[in-house]
Amino acid sequence: MDISVNPGGSVTVVTINGSVDGLTADQLLATLDAQVDAGRTHLVADLSGLEYTSSAGLRAVLGTVKRTRSKGGDLRLAAVQPQVFKVLDLAGFTGIMKLYDDVPSAVASFGVQA
Amino acid sequence: MDGPREPASAASAAPDRRVAVVIGSGSVKCAAALGLMNVLEREGIGVSMVIGCSAGCLFATMIAAGHSTEDAAALTRRLWTREIASQGNTRSLARVLLPKVFGFDSQFGLRSDTLILARLREAFGESHIEDMGIPLYLTATDFGDGSQAVFSSGRVVDAIRASIAVPFLFSPWRVGGRLYLDGYMADPLPVGVAIKEGAEVIVAMGFESPYQDNVTSGARFAFQVSSILSNNLLKSQFAFHALAHHAEVIPIIPEFRQRIHLFDTGKIPYIIEEGERAAEAQMPYLRRLLDAGSPTRAAAGS
Repeated sequence: MDISVNPGGSVTVVTINGSVDGLTADQLLATLDAQVDAGRTHLVADLSGLEYTSSAGLRAVLGTVKRTRSKGGDLRLAAVQPQVFKVLDLAGFTGIMKLYDDVPSAVASFGVQA
Repeated sequence: MDGPREPASAASAAPDRRVAVVIGSGSVKCAAALGLMNVLEREGIGVSMVIGCSAGCLFATMIAAGHSTEDAAALTRRLWTREIASQGNTRSLARVLLPKVFGFDSQFGLRSDTLILARLREAFGESHIEDMGIPLYLTATDFGDGSQAVFSSGRVVDAIRASIAVPFLFSPWRVGGRLYLDGYMADPLPVGVAIKEGAEVIVAMGFESPYQDNVTSGARFAFQVSSILSNNLLKSQFAFHALAHHAEVIPIIPEFRQRIHLFDTGKIPYIIEEGERAAEAQMPYLRRLLDAGSPTRAAAGS
């Protein structure tokens, strides 16, 4: 898994590529936690390059959703690929999270221009 | 029962990495689990336990007993035909129409279970769950209180008959003084059983129930309602287990481009193929987890 963070403006875009599973979820959670700790609570996860997530990845995402929302922010998902969408849907995430076709739309959903 | 496969538990996976295979409810689509097993076997990944629900119990049992894919597919074709649900249960019908005359009780089912019972007995005889080559757990739903029942011992035929007691279609089945209904009513994909039994990596093959294109009969109406309920239950239960525990759950949801009906045993080769395809897509992640050591430790804190 590769993660990159682009903290530009009031919305931080976290790009996650590869796969999130029991071996990599800690790294993802640490990266997301670091953003929230730094006061960046308007997060967009660019999942265009994410091929897979297991239950460990779901737990990392949910933990971040709870933390950002408790601070008035949110974690929103962009460009979710079909195989990942299937898992998110099965786990009920599509009912509690906001998903967008692409990063600019997700960033704009916070009321700012990409 | 010819041509048994080498029990998967004897394959090359290290014994401390407890891999469970969970086969959810899904009628004949559950044959996709045979494709999953083909892939696991090819990869040399051993299985520590098999869990089945509803029709998934049939395949879980055949896998735990060591049947080859070909043998299991042939057995399914003989066992799972339209005829098993074609004979009406006139007694139940009379009881529902005139309950004061004929009396009504909880042994209600609109179809006779005579043929399915005969076929289950022909296929599994007096074999017991505890005698399988791989530890086997079969789930049903307690009719009295709605709780999930897990059969880890006793006659295979009783557990399967209980787990496929589709409400209204087949009557609940009595085991040890209690009545049981189809396992999907408690959890269509019983991942929780694997977690409870100590599995670290759970390969969970689940199936969404199909929705009706046209609701043109009472039976289709009932199936539609059942599909809505079971699909929502599948999602909520999967979400709970995936988020509440530290076991690694790897969901495998085969994509069926062809519509699969309840008794489409003619499509078993296609179903197995789709099961293989879906399983192969997850193998890189499963392989990495197993190669890296204890997934529970790796996932801790996530």
